[in-house]
Amino acid sequence: MEKKHVVLKLDHVSKGFAKIETDEVTHALDHISTTMESGEFISLVGPSGCGKSTILRLIAGLIKPTTGTLTVDGKAIEGPAPDRGMVFQKAALFPWLTVRNNIAFSLKMQGTLRGNEEKVDNMLNIIGLQDFKDDYPGQLSGGMAQRVALARSLISEPDILLLDEPLGALDAFTRMNMQDEILKIWQRRQQLAIMVTHDVDEAIYMGTRVLVMDAHPGRVIADIQIDLPAPRDRSSAAFVAYRNDILNKLHFGGQSEKSAS
Amino acid sequence: MQEHGINPAGAGQREDGQLQDLTRKQLLELEREKKTKLQLWLDLLIWLSPFLGGLVSILEYTRIPDNSLNRNPGTYLGFLFILIAAYGIYCVVSLAALTQGNRDIIDKQRYRAPLFTALFLLFAFYDYLTLKTGILTQPFVPCLNFVINAAWTDRAMLLDCTIHTLGLLFLGYFIGVAVGLVTGITCGYSSRCRYWVDPIIKFLGPIPTSTWIPIMMVVASSLFQGAMFIIALGSWFAVTVASMTGISNVDPEYFEAARTLGASDRQLVFRVAIPRAMPSIFQGCTQAMSSSCTAIMIAEMLGVKSGLGWYMNWSKSWASYDKMFAALFVICFIFTVVTKTLEAVKRRVLRWQVGVEK
Repeated sequence: MEKKHVVLKLDHVSKGFAKIETDEVTHALDHISTTMESGEFISLVGPSGCGKSTILRLIAGLIKPTTGTLTVDGKAIEGPAPDRGMVFQKAALFPWLTVRNNIAFSLKMQGTLRGNEEKVDNMLNIIGLQDFKDDYPGQLSGGMAQRVALARSLISEPDILLLDEPLGALDAFTRMNMQDEILKIWQRRQQLAIMVTHDVDEAIYMGTRVLVMDAHPGRVIADIQIDLPAPRDRSSAAFVAYRNDILNKLHFGGQSEKSAS
Repeated sequence: MQEHGINPAGAGQREDGQLQDLTRKQLLELEREKKTKLQLWLDLLIWLSPFLGGLVSILEYTRIPDNSLNRNPGTYLGFLFILIAAYGIYCVVSLAALTQGNRDIIDKQRYRAPLFTALFLLFAFYDYLTLKTGILTQPFVPCLNFVINAAWTDRAMLLDCTIHTLGLLFLGYFIGVAVGLVTGITCGYSSRCRYWVDPIIKFLGPIPTSTWIPIMMVVASSLFQGAMFIIALGSWFAVTVASMTGISNVDPEYFEAARTLGASDRQLVFRVAIPRAMPSIFQGCTQAMSSSCTAIMIAEMLGVKSGLGWYMNWSKSWASYDKMFAALFVICFIFTVVTKTLEAVKRRVLRWQVGVEK
């Protein structure tokens, strides 16, 4: 499939959630406006409650904005669709399907599985789980499960890939391995990838652009282009400078400056 | 291997390669604790012990004089011989499998052997209490020879009753399960449907199935239909509640994931909600089966003029206790088979569940 260039526009998007007990409304997102396009890997970073997951769910079409519009190439997002694939923090693999059938799920739902079996095998090869294709998700480790979840949403070749803290539940080493694997997969088609994380290092290491968010109400406080060549060196001076800048914006700056000097 | 002193790294690598190629079975074989000679002899003895148990029961039956009149004494003996022969065939099969390198069957047989032995000893003990000493009075608690004889002479009628019971059981059960699945799944999925069905369940739920029997005897046009309705009602209730909770407890994350993967509303029900709720649905089906078994026996003893429950009651009123016991054993047997079948289906469908499949 040829690469398709898409532009995702958020125009004054706000989202409120009604609290269950009181009459109050939580302002999860407050007038977010930004443009993202294919070839970008965007990291959303910020404290919990800043609405970074809400943005992903809005783009996925799982929820609707209270006010404002979200458009892909000028067309409003109406609901979930396989051209906007999403990977969840808890993988959310279907436990009653084998690894292979989990990956094939999207094709099956769209009735295009027949004749596309080699796509599934190809995907199994890319994530390196060919030997586990007949296993059930209950038998997989956390890292493997996330790789299957990634393959499951990549199988229908989405133009936009949404990653909701996909590595949040993994141990440090698996996490670093998976960061490189996700980047490798992303580089093949350079689709628009948007990843939520609360790890500033991960945001800089993976992103071409980092949106720093703050809570109460949820808003973007900084939009930073990361101009570092890949693969990135986590200990380089430029990398550390980016990290200090972001931590400063998140009001953690004082400590990290002290420890750096 | 004699070179491993010179080139330990090479030898280590070769062994690693071998380890990777191991199957699960070979690994277990390698790690199996070696048994001592005594243990092996003991295993062999236990494996053969059912033959000993069989011999004990034959000797008990033939050597000890009878306390009461025993017609057709050969039947029980034949029964014992058939059981012993069956165990013998089992032994041959597992030995054949063992020579093919399959240890599982013989291990399982060795595991079960003490139970078989105990069964033979139980037969001998029961025969001693009934026929040999009359501690349990004849003919109220008939010895096994009487029961088997009764079952054999009345086999046509017993078969007829069995067919009738099974027909009624399955008809009622499947109608109840089918309707229960439809209501349970729709109610689990749509809150509007639950609004209407919930009160019915809350109202009818606590009533024991057997309460309906007298009402059915009056209302239903035939007792067969009445009994069928009662069985169906009981299964409907169990399956509805189980599948409703099963579906409404499906983690919303699965629906969200499926929607981002392009699943339609219909597919969300059939490809996500139902498969995920399968364990719960099966639990409902098992529960429905046990409630159906209870209901059918009560129905047959109280009103329906056929079937094994009726047969038991009928032979009791003719003081044919041997026939009554024969029917009891048949009931035991068919309910066991039905439950086992359901278990097997469940294990097959739910093999994705961790813990179900090892």
